[in-house]
Amino acid sequence: MQEKPKAPLAGIVYGEIVYWITLIGMIVAVIGAAIYLFGGPQYAKSSCVLSLLWEGEDVHEIWEKCAGHAIHGHWYLKKLGSGDGLGMLGIAFSCIAAVVGVWVSAFTMLKEKEKILYPFLAFIVAVILTLSALGIISLKH
Amino acid sequence: MDLKKKWKWVLGISIVTIIMSLLGNKIVYAVEEAAETVAPAAEKTLGISPIAFFFLFLIACILIGIVAVLAGVGGGVVFTPIMMGFTPIDSFVIRATGLFVAMAGALVAAKPFLRKGIANIRILFYGAVPYAVCAVIGALLAGYVKATMGIKGEALVRGGLGIIVIGISMLFIFAGKKIEYPEVGEVDSFTERLGLAMAYWEDSLGRVVNYQVKNAHIAAILFCGVGLISGLFGLGAGWAMVPVFNLVMMAPLKVAATCSKVMIGIGDTAAVWPYIMGGGILPIFAVPCMIGLIVGTLIGAAIMIKIKAGFVRWLIIAIMLFSGIRLLMKAVELWKAASAVVS
Repeated sequence: MQEKPKAPLAGIVYGEIVYWITLIGMIVAVIGAAIYLFGGPQYAKSSCVLSLLWEGEDVHEIWEKCAGHAIHGHWYLKKLGSGDGLGMLGIAFSCIAAVVGVWVSAFTMLKEKEKILYPFLAFIVAVILTLSALGIISLKH
Repeated sequence: MDLKKKWKWVLGISIVTIIMSLLGNKIVYAVEEAAETVAPAAEKTLGISPIAFFFLFLIACILIGIVAVLAGVGGGVVFTPIMMGFTPIDSFVIRATGLFVAMAGALVAAKPFLRKGIANIRILFYGAVPYAVCAVIGALLAGYVKATMGIKGEALVRGGLGIIVIGISMLFIFAGKKIEYPEVGEVDSFTERLGLAMAYWEDSLGRVVNYQVKNAHIAAILFCGVGLISGLFGLGAGWAMVPVFNLVMMAPLKVAATCSKVMIGIGDTAAVWPYIMGGGILPIFAVPCMIGLIVGTLIGAAIMIKIKAGFVRWLIIAIMLFSGIRLLMKAVELWKAASAVVS
């Protein structure tokens, strides 16, 4: 009888982290959307957003007309009291899952004494994801 | 299926697709006109309330998720072309949402593959570097096109996506060949030095599968291309990634499919943030699409065990072809409109 090979710890850790963070983010996003739809405080008026969205309006126009100004960056962090702000926080939380997961996975690889190339590659990926999430790599126009 | 039979399907689907494409335009215009008549000028969301709009997209995405799983593709690759082909929503919002739903689905699905050790963590990080870098470049390019080219940029994006979607449907028809355990043969020195090979326990065989991979240098270039397309068009990338792992690197099919799923989660995270920073994600649109696709995927997976889903493959091919043609038609319309404005 062959022995089952052990799955690399770095992979297991990554899988657990991204699963739970994404799930929590999704739940927060759903709660935010429910508040937004069922009469809670709104940063951008829902009927305005949807009508302009369905008219095919440019996304910047939608924000300008419905929230009063164009947005850029982590706008939701200042609007957590609103349903759409909370919903967006949930979405952003889901999107941060892989960033955290890859960092932890990279350190786990180092600790597990994996061939040095792989923690190095994992750190490169982690840096790219972090720069992207911080908005250092972004679309400024 | 032999080639002759395949051609009959292709011909049939092509005729139906062309007819549907011609009728589709009229249907969409009729819906838009009806919405304009029913709803007051300020609220033209198909003449319905935001709550109804939310549930409409939820149900649509559940259906997309079910059909996609039954056809053996990811929801992300079907979502973007359908939404861009059949709704008037700004393509920047659709692409951002398409990336987000593909990413969220992939992140949730990754856990069991990594726990069982089927997804190869070394291949993952090796491939994730070119994929993530080029996915970010694609996302930045999307923003650049939007900011500098206006309607012509929108026409180019829709046209480009139309061509890619038609190409993907052709890939589904003609290059469906996948090898469960590919014969690796001689491993090139570059791949050997990387030491990407690993082993996993295969339940169906009741033994350990020790596998080798090769052509890592070619795969890296291909991951760049896939990342660029994924970031620029907001498409899920499993359709391209699985063949790269399975037919170029010669990884077993199970390893290829699981690695592809996990890598989409990493690469699309890199690409989705520039869209979020540019305001491309609207919670009211993204949340029902995300829930819908995940619920649809789960329902589809449950149905798949009970029914023979061969015909669904052809249904998805028809949908993709239909969406591709619609996108090309929209692109031509937009290009003409932009040219008319200029002249």
